[in-house]
Amino acid sequence: MTNVYVHGIGMTKFGNLSSSLKELLLEASVEALNDAGRPKIDAVFVGNFMGGSISNQEILGALIANDLGLGYIPSTKVEGACASGGIAFRQGILGILSGEYETVLIAGVEKMKHASTPDVTQAINAAMDTSSTEKHAGLTFPGFFGVLANRYFYETGATKEHLARVALKNRENGVRNPLAQFPKPTSLEEILAARMITDPLGLFDCSPMTDGAAAIVISRKKSPIHVRSSSQVSGPTQMQDAVDLLSIPAIGESGRIAYEKAGVGPEDIDVVEIHDCFSMTEIIATEELGFFNRLEGWKAVEEGRTKVTGDKPVNTSGGLLSRGHPIGATGIAQLYQLVRQLRGNAANQVANNPRLALAQNLGGTGSYSTVHILERV
Amino acid sequence: MKIYSCCGTDSITKKYACPKCGESNFTEKEVSDKGTVYSYTKIHIAPAEFADIAPYNVVLVDLDEAAAKVTTRILEDVAIGDPVKLSYIENDAYVYEKIKNTSAVT
Repeated sequence: MTNVYVHGIGMTKFGNLSSSLKELLLEASVEALNDAGRPKIDAVFVGNFMGGSISNQEILGALIANDLGLGYIPSTKVEGACASGGIAFRQGILGILSGEYETVLIAGVEKMKHASTPDVTQAINAAMDTSSTEKHAGLTFPGFFGVLANRYFYETGATKEHLARVALKNRENGVRNPLAQFPKPTSLEEILAARMITDPLGLFDCSPMTDGAAAIVISRKKSPIHVRSSSQVSGPTQMQDAVDLLSIPAIGESGRIAYEKAGVGPEDIDVVEIHDCFSMTEIIATEELGFFNRLEGWKAVEEGRTKVTGDKPVNTSGGLLSRGHPIGATGIAQLYQLVRQLRGNAANQVANNPRLALAQNLGGTGSYSTVHILERV
Repeated sequence: MKIYSCCGTDSITKKYACPKCGESNFTEKEVSDKGTVYSYTKIHIAPAEFADIAPYNVVLVDLDEAAAKVTTRILEDVAIGDPVKLSYIENDAYVYEKIKNTSAVT
């Protein structure tokens, strides 16, 4: 129980956008502030990963405070690779829990589409241990999950078609989400025939480069959406250090702590947004978070259990794969979708008035993971 | 290949402290670089610094003489279980190769 409540949310369209990094940040923030009824903001936290390296733009916190006229308040940028948004959100919660702030604005943003794919891939590699022999061997983030997927296939009955079913589900959800990057429907055949990125992951198995921002306002004052728990852990920073390649302990441990703090279990969660940076990652995360047995997540995909109509709807927004993955914004965009699910007005609204929602945000190859459980009260 | 061990865990990477006991008393031992392919991927889309050699295979090798794995690059295509050994070290990367089947037919 954090006794911190969500008061407002905002999100830009995700995709290839002409707006600057700052414009995206301000657009999402203003929407969240308006949604919250324009409260006095005591602090700002921003999740962002490559504003400095790709856009040559830092001081993102001060840009918000200044351009939105929030006054001489503290503002902070938070970096945790692809978990930057989730970590920024948690910093906002901790700031309120400390007693220092009453109401906090958290925004996440990334601008990637203006740069070339090799340059972005290079910038993303900053989230590896760049002094390691495996970085020098040429490992990449998709590469890590490709290695993991080939071993997963070897030890289970899963095939590339199961990965394709994750990608297809998330595309079907994305097509019905007006803010998602990819509005175009696809098919299993198209996904399976797509060009290879890193064997066995093809184009549709990998989250795209995306421009976009999302924002959220939280407060000690009550609202109908309570942040029931918040957790964050660090994990191994190298593939060759993994005790078990088919486990991402940062996800499992952050889930375990979040459930314990919330006093609920995986069976109680009604709707989920997890970090499907790759189709394989979604399957592993559903196992680590206890929704399905270890090495059986692929069966749940086959049975349609993670669809909007399934018993454990995962990534109703379209996920990173189809909503898009503007790195620093992703953790906040997950919360945006879950708040709308709990308010009952989401794209791909799940049935029966969901009450408990879980967001899991991953950074690096399991270097960071955050879990937040939201509750409709 | 140098292995650092503490509290029953082997690793090819040296840490400042063991996560289990918190001490820095790692045992160092030299083991054979031979191993078997634990898993692999062929990277088609590479970062700028490796774009000129793509596609290339990144292979996680399970070392024969330690409970540790090492991430390598292998020029030829491999399958899980293939025996492999170090070929050379290039720019701090372990470049491995398949061990050819030398068992002569008698």
